[in-house]
Amino acid sequence: VIAANIAAAIHAASPTPAPVTVGGSGIFTSSLLLSILVWTPVIVAGLIAVLPNPRGRYDALMKQIAFFTNVGLLFVLWVAYNQFENFLTTVQFEEKVSWLPSIGVVYHLGVDGAGMLMLILSGLVGLASVLASFGVRERVRSYFCLLLLSEACVNGAVVAHDMFVLLLFWGASTIPLALLVFGWGGPRREAAAWRLVAYWGVGTIALLIATMALYAATGSGSFDMDVLLKTTLSPRMQLAVGAAVIVAAATRLPLFPFHGWARDLFSEAPVGVSVIIAGSATRLGAYVLLRVLVGAEPIAAQLLSPLVAVLSAVTIAYAGLVVLRSTDLRHAAANLALVPGGVTLLGLAALSPLAIGGSLLSIFSGGLAAALIVGVCATIADRAQSRNLRVLRGLAPRMPNLTWLMLLAVFGLLGVPLMASFPAEAMTFLGSFKNQPIAAFAVAAGLALVAASLVVLVHRMLFGLPNPDAPGVSDSSLGETWFLGLLAGGLLWVGLFPGGPKLPGTDQPIFDPGLVNTMAAGLTDIADPYAVGK
Amino acid sequence: VIKQLVLIPEAIVVATAVLLLLSARIGGSRSLRRYLPAIVAGLVLVALVLELWLGATLATLFGGGFVQDRFALFAKAAVLLAAGTAIAVADWSAEDSLSIGLAMPLLAAFGAMVAASAGDFVVLWAGLEVAAAAGVVLVGIRRPDLGLRLLITGGIATALLVVGFAFVYATAGTADLSTARQMMQSAAPTLPLAIPVLLLLGGLAVRAGIAPFHIASVPVSLGATPLGAGLVLGLVAVAALIVTIKLVAILTAVPQAFSPYLAFIAAVAMVGGGAAALGVRAPRARLAYLAVGQAGWVAAGLSTHYRGGLGGALFLLGAFALAATCGPAVLGGAEGGEASLAGMGVLRPARAAGIAMAFLSLAGAPPLAGFFGQFAVAAALAQGGHFELLAVGVLGSVLSLVAALGTLRVLYIQSPPEEGRRAVGFALPAWTRFSTAGAVVLCAAIAAYGAFGNPILGLAYQGAEALGLR
Repeated sequence: VIAANIAAAIHAASPTPAPVTVGGSGIFTSSLLLSILVWTPVIVAGLIAVLPNPRGRYDALMKQIAFFTNVGLLFVLWVAYNQFENFLTTVQFEEKVSWLPSIGVVYHLGVDGAGMLMLILSGLVGLASVLASFGVRERVRSYFCLLLLSEACVNGAVVAHDMFVLLLFWGASTIPLALLVFGWGGPRREAAAWRLVAYWGVGTIALLIATMALYAATGSGSFDMDVLLKTTLSPRMQLAVGAAVIVAAATRLPLFPFHGWARDLFSEAPVGVSVIIAGSATRLGAYVLLRVLVGAEPIAAQLLSPLVAVLSAVTIAYAGLVVLRSTDLRHAAANLALVPGGVTLLGLAALSPLAIGGSLLSIFSGGLAAALIVGVCATIADRAQSRNLRVLRGLAPRMPNLTWLMLLAVFGLLGVPLMASFPAEAMTFLGSFKNQPIAAFAVAAGLALVAASLVVLVHRMLFGLPNPDAPGVSDSSLGETWFLGLLAGGLLWVGLFPGGPKLPGTDQPIFDPGLVNTMAAGLTDIADPYAVGK
Repeated sequence: VIKQLVLIPEAIVVATAVLLLLSARIGGSRSLRRYLPAIVAGLVLVALVLELWLGATLATLFGGGFVQDRFALFAKAAVLLAAGTAIAVADWSAEDSLSIGLAMPLLAAFGAMVAASAGDFVVLWAGLEVAAAAGVVLVGIRRPDLGLRLLITGGIATALLVVGFAFVYATAGTADLSTARQMMQSAAPTLPLAIPVLLLLGGLAVRAGIAPFHIASVPVSLGATPLGAGLVLGLVAVAALIVTIKLVAILTAVPQAFSPYLAFIAAVAMVGGGAAALGVRAPRARLAYLAVGQAGWVAAGLSTHYRGGLGGALFLLGAFALAATCGPAVLGGAEGGEASLAGMGVLRPARAAGIAMAFLSLAGAPPLAGFFGQFAVAAALAQGGHFELLAVGVLGSVLSLVAALGTLRVLYIQSPPEEGRRAVGFALPAWTRFSTAGAVVLCAAIAAYGAFGNPILGLAYQGAEALGLR
């Protein structure tokens, strides 16, 4: 009865989604759509937790439940994506219910173009993560419960339109992910998990401080983003908030020098967990930076842009240098996963509408590329029974599938044409050379260094002379090929059809309205203060 | 007559406690003893429902000695919920005496209820002493030495309280709390007022077990029975915090007399509790220090001396009462150390979930009761410009969270011992089955406290208003 009343209250209080004009319209009109995306994984996790499972008899069933939950969520997301009103600047699928009115907390969910982009990323990465986890044999129930809770936290942070709700999901995401590393990681899992907790804890503190500073400065007694992020603050307060948000973002994304957790974590965590962290959980850093700093505090964004640019350039250069010297495949992958974050940040430092658009698209493409490179390297290390790059040589003939997927990951990382990262990086660089020329050159040089180190890595590992003393090698299993293929497919699809496939001779999208079009919704609002002449 | 109906919950609680104590002399059938915890938990639930229903009536009884207002309603409901859940969740096979073990939480709850409804200094003090005495008895059953230690430190705290109350009475010229509040409006923050307030807060901090005054409560809780530890760390501390809230409400016109002390105590407790929790490995000790840290958050809310802060602190007090009282009870015997929890997530999932919820809630982890309460206090601190205290509190929370994760790792990640695995298939005793159901209730209560926080926080704010805060 309580749940029904809450549902009715949300329904009554929430504006119905605006009429849609693209294919798929009118299929799904529930104003609880975002709540469904957030809470379904939680409910399913609860069901899995109480399902009887004597001596692991129903382990396979639990994996299937997690898989079909993700497929179902992706379907709901696809419908929402098709119903999304492109070029509409307001927040859509809004849900707004007073939660703790005494302190001004509202259960306020909503997505604009950036949010929809993040949700699609989270959906794809979530499914890939479940597929990547099909090999888990120990404590299957706990594993999939925690994985679903992690997905729910990421989705919740994306759709949150109240700073309290954002903090809630942002902070909560640390717990299941840390436990997943603790329980199912490699030999150094404890150190990896504690580092994750420490760094992300610092990030949560920083975000909390920013939130409280905004709350105190506005004096509105509300945590609603519509209030907090639309109040003009003094430059000093904007700077304080901006600095805290940069720290929060830098610990998540991660950026040099807040990247201390990444190497251990990506090399020790199970593949599925690495994928979800690299793909979606870390992208929340850039998303929050975009929303809170760039979107709401333009003075601080401009004052802090040199700092952001330096962080971006140093991160990429550091990653390139470390990969060049690395002798451990998973360490190399962990450092390569830093690269997309650096590119994203360059656009946010440049603060031109084109660069911000590029940054936004690079959150999506970078998430997929980072998840792919981490996933494929972990799979190669598993299949080759070694992660030592001195041992791994000439693997291409013996693992053709993984070779192709590795190449796609490299292409995705470097922004090669036909990959989603190409338009993202093109927009970012074209929009950055005017406002941040030095940083843009530095990032470009850093990417060249990364490309060089990747050429060395790929040549040696895949196409060099085979090592006769190396352990036995096998190609990826069907499940591994599927999860890596899904990530690579996402990169290729958006790279080939950034505006969505259309019926020949018309502008009518067939089933994908185009990620770039969707991205534009709400971007005007964010980028408007930085338009030429303003 | 209608007004006097508000006393029914207190009557049920105290009558049940007395009957239980008498039954220890009379004895009882075996089947009755088996279901006694369930019957008592049910009676406490009835008292809670009646409190929520009848307690909404505003009333002043016994010539102003008993006041039923929104503050009393909130505090009593929180105490009854904590006591009932603790009785339900305790593993009675690990307790030393069924009848006394059941009676003492009820008496402690009764003491806290009396303090919540107190209209003058005498009743306020008496309520706190009843709650504290119940804790001494329950601890003393298993470990008389620890009971004596608690009694002596409690005696010192009582001395400080009595002296402090006497001086405040002398300053205000009345023992009536509402009149004293009015008199304090014109009082100046002088040294003769600040010193007794310091004594009072010192005595209350000892009773509440807030660092650096936790020297008695934490070590004592480690040697007590599970429910005894829950009583000392939870209900007795809650009673002390209720008295503190009422005292702060009287003194809001002269914040200089108490706010700096409270802010200092809060800062030490928040960081000290978190750091100490991180430094120990024994689950009960860790839980005790986490409780110290969260009690520090309550004190931080009170140091703001305005409605938002007090409302937030009261809201957090409810979450604290639940987790700090039920945590040790659901944890069970502490003798085995951390290893005794290994793999409990597999062997006893409901109990493991209850333990995890209590630890995480005390650490302030989202999205549980403690997080919502601490956030409400944090919002009040930010609004009041107490950013230093907020920063210290957040640091303490992160330390607490890391400590709580350490216990979660043992619960869910470590493999269970082989003998534990073999025991899984066997039927559990009735008491253990009941406590498993209690653990489920505890999980639901901690999870729902924040999710359905609107009416609870609203009531907490009304409670703060009832104490005259604006």
